Amino acid sequence: MTLSRKCVPFTPFEGELAKSTIALVTAAGVHLRDQEPFNISDELGDLGYRIIPEDVDSSQLMVTHHHYNHTDADKDINVVFPIDALRELQDQGFIRGIARKHVGYMGYTMQLKAMYEGTAREIANEIDKGSRADLVVLTGG
Amino acid sequence: MKGVPTVLITVSPEVSAQMRPPRAIYPKGFKIGNSLGKPGNRDMQKQILKDALSLFTKNTRPGEFVTNEYPDYGEYHEPPRVKALK
Repeated sequence: MTLSRKCVPFTPFEGELAKSTIALVTAAGVHLRDQEPFNISDELGDLGYRIIPEDVDSSQLMVTHHHYNHTDADKDINVVFPIDALRELQDQGFIRGIARKHVGYMGYTMQLKAMYEGTAREIANEIDKGSRADLVVLTGG
Repeated sequence: MKGVPTVLITVSPEVSAQMRPPRAIYPKGFKIGNSLGKPGNRDMQKQILKDALSLFTKNTRPGEFVTNEYPDYGEYHEPPRVKALK
């Protein structure tokens, strides 16, 4: 499928937040400490992504990204990947649930076509299959 | 795939707009790396997240960017611009 350059792809939402499950997808280079870091030595960028599980301990998350200053995210990952903030909104009943999986990737690439037609679709498939997400919050660095 | 509704939280609205996100919120003047504010400020993080999620239930125009101000952030950083093609 080729999208028109003028068209904004838009999926409407007619449900309620209090009955919805949310996934986070971040371009901020977030991954688990025991996952392979993104390859920042490749000047073309890293086209990979990492799955972050629902029950992740946020202290086990880190950032590998060399195109923004992630000093603050190193102190509190919630400034780019608000998983603990999302859990508090769940506790308050603002949302129903946290998706079974979330995604981190490194939002810098010189291979835009491969990112757009490859990685982005793979990430969408991850969310579509088995995450149980009704809605996705996207964040950058 | 039927499509999943998304909302983007961005501190680089002009750059992000090039990717035509369906819905976006820009916390005005936040620096890159502070999409949800400062470390440890959970109240602000939650507020920005709530404001972003609330766009799902508002009748936003496809591609609309909503600019929100959070004065408690206490700083202003000029967002990066997209260089015009010559």
